[in-house]
Amino acid sequence: MDNIELLESYNSYLQEQKANGKKIIAYLTHDNVPIELFEAAGFVPLPLIFAGKDELMDASHSYLPPSTCSYAQSCIGYFSSTPRTHEFLDLADYILLSNHCVSNICVSEILSNNFNRKRLDFYVSYTRNSNALKYYKLELKHLQKEIEGITKERIPDHRIKEEIIRHNNFKTIVEQVSKLNIPGSEKLDIYQKAILYGPAIQAEIEEIISSYKSNTKNTNSTHPKNVIFTGCSIFINDYLMDLIEDAGGNIVLFDTWIGRNYYSQTFSEEVIASLNDPIDLLTKRFENNVYGDHCVPDSLDNKIVFLENYVNEYHKKYGDKIGVINHIIKFCDHFSLFQSYFKEKLQERGVQVLNLERDYSRSIKGQLSTRIEAFMEMI
Amino acid sequence: MSELKCIGIDIGSLATKIVLMSNGDMVDWRLNRSTYDFKRVGRDLFDDILTKNNLSRSEVYVMSTGYGRNTIDFADDRITEISAHARGVQFFYPEARSVIDIGGQDSKAILISRKNGNVIDFQMNDKCAAGTGRFLEVMAHALEIPIDEIGSLALESNKPASISSTCTVFAESEVISLFAQGSLKKDIAAGIHKSIAKRVASMAKRIGVEPLLVFTGGVAKNIAVKKYLEKELDFEIFQPEYPQLTGAIGAALIAKDKNAN
Ligand code: SF4
Repeated sequence: MDNIELLESYNSYLQEQKANGKKIIAYLTHDNVPIELFEAAGFVPLPLIFAGKDELMDASHSYLPPSTCSYAQSCIGYFSSTPRTHEFLDLADYILLSNHCVSNICVSEILSNNFNRKRLDFYVSYTRNSNALKYYKLELKHLQKEIEGITKERIPDHRIKEEIIRHNNFKTIVEQVSKLNIPGSEKLDIYQKAILYGPAIQAEIEEIISSYKSNTKNTNSTHPKNVIFTGCSIFINDYLMDLIEDAGGNIVLFDTWIGRNYYSQTFSEEVIASLNDPIDLLTKRFENNVYGDHCVPDSLDNKIVFLENYVNEYHKKYGDKIGVINHIIKFCDHFSLFQSYFKEKLQERGVQVLNLERDYSRSIKGQLSTRIEAFMEMI
Repeated sequence: MSELKCIGIDIGSLATKIVLMSNGDMVDWRLNRSTYDFKRVGRDLFDDILTKNNLSRSEVYVMSTGYGRNTIDFADDRITEISAHARGVQFFYPEARSVIDIGGQDSKAILISRKNGNVIDFQMNDKCAAGTGRFLEVMAHALEIPIDEIGSLALESNKPASISSTCTVFAESEVISLFAQGSLKKDIAAGIHKSIAKRVASMAKRIGVEPLLVFTGGVAKNIAVKKYLEKELDFEIFQPEYPQLTGAIGAALIAKDKNAN
């Protein structure tokens, strides 16, 4: 379903930023993108989290083959479809190219070459050894220089640190949403909004949380079919959340980039105090991000252990056995290559898993809901 | 206590099936093509089965299943075809541990718990038609033989042709070019069956299907698919008396279990 209201207000927000002379950087949403650096330089980060419709995939086929991940196809589709559905994307001045995956590189290149967005490059190591950390640090410095070249102004260290602290506080607040006893769809709406706007809407998120806290309804403990959602994120405009809830499911944990991978990447106050150089802090965060799918060799095993513990804790607390939906966007190698291993390992530990591989076409909606409903019947 | 009568109605993409069960025994059944208006087809079959058995709506509990399960507004409840098939095969074979169901538009493999007969895992084909009844239909058309005859023709072959594409579109062109090169129809038909069996068996192996495996759905009536599936899986598989009715029977039995609790 279109989230028209959210998109309209986001459009106005971006227009306003632009009118105030701000530059906008679009980026494909994955971990390790240092948005604090952009904000410290006065740029507005624009996360591309709007995928989920088949007409957008179709609109991308002059640029990408249909055997590219549906998210990548949708990102191009937003720029190439006519009539334009998300005109605010035209406001983006730059596109950040990062090597999270091949699709990420392709999309950023196509957007920069064919849609006249200036490209900023940010390559990241997949490992976390000392060389990878040095390389990440170098890339941060390089990106900082590039941005300073655009603004013709140095970004002072204290500004970067202020932004790191601001985002850190914000993520800590967003994390509280994960603990609320509210339907998964409401949590997802908050996460999506939080990622779109960032700390600019901290007060609003705090208000939402406190209004939920004063509301006594308890969804988690009474809902019979609670599940964890992992794999590829659910983007704005995707109908998947509706299918899950129509099938009687309730997502209690979003173990995805739009969800835990976003809000869990924080520092303790001690770490913030101990590292003066903000680039060191950002590098530290990269080092700590061992659950993200952009981390070898252990991210999958770390994820399996984390999920097993979560399921057991949940069982202890609420008495419910919860299953795991592993969402795999078609042609996303990150998740599809390891789906059998992931399922097998969790099943060995007594956790039921549904590997839900799909693209965004509407024609598969019936088949998708059968798979989801059957999984709900199974757990 | 009066007997509990349950109706299971399975709205598949190609056929609609309805069964009436009383205290766990099958009393009557109907089958018709789903057409584009499967809601009406379902309603007609339902009215007919009630009339012929002198029953009123209030005397039966109705459980819908299958692709069009949500469109049946007279159903009391609904269940997916995965759960329905798992329950339905146990009506014919109480020892069943696995199911392969090949219908008109999809195919699925289901693993059943030894402990309680519940579903423990399943796999479905994705939106592509490979490994479904549709694949056979397209190939029968390409070979210009009626769909009901393609299975027996395939069994006459000792030398199945090799069809390397699992994609329906590519396989169709392969069939046409084999035909043009002079391959025998029976060998091409055998190759087609081998290809569909390979595709479905590899999906079934992913969830570790094991004997006793029951083969259901419209395609289960095709003896050549059964033969090639057995070769691929390396064990004997069984077909129920009414393979197409398994989903509807399962839905009716689930309705009965539900009302017993
Ligand atoms: S969904 Fe997968 S393939 Fe697509 S951009 Fe994300 S990580 Fe890359």
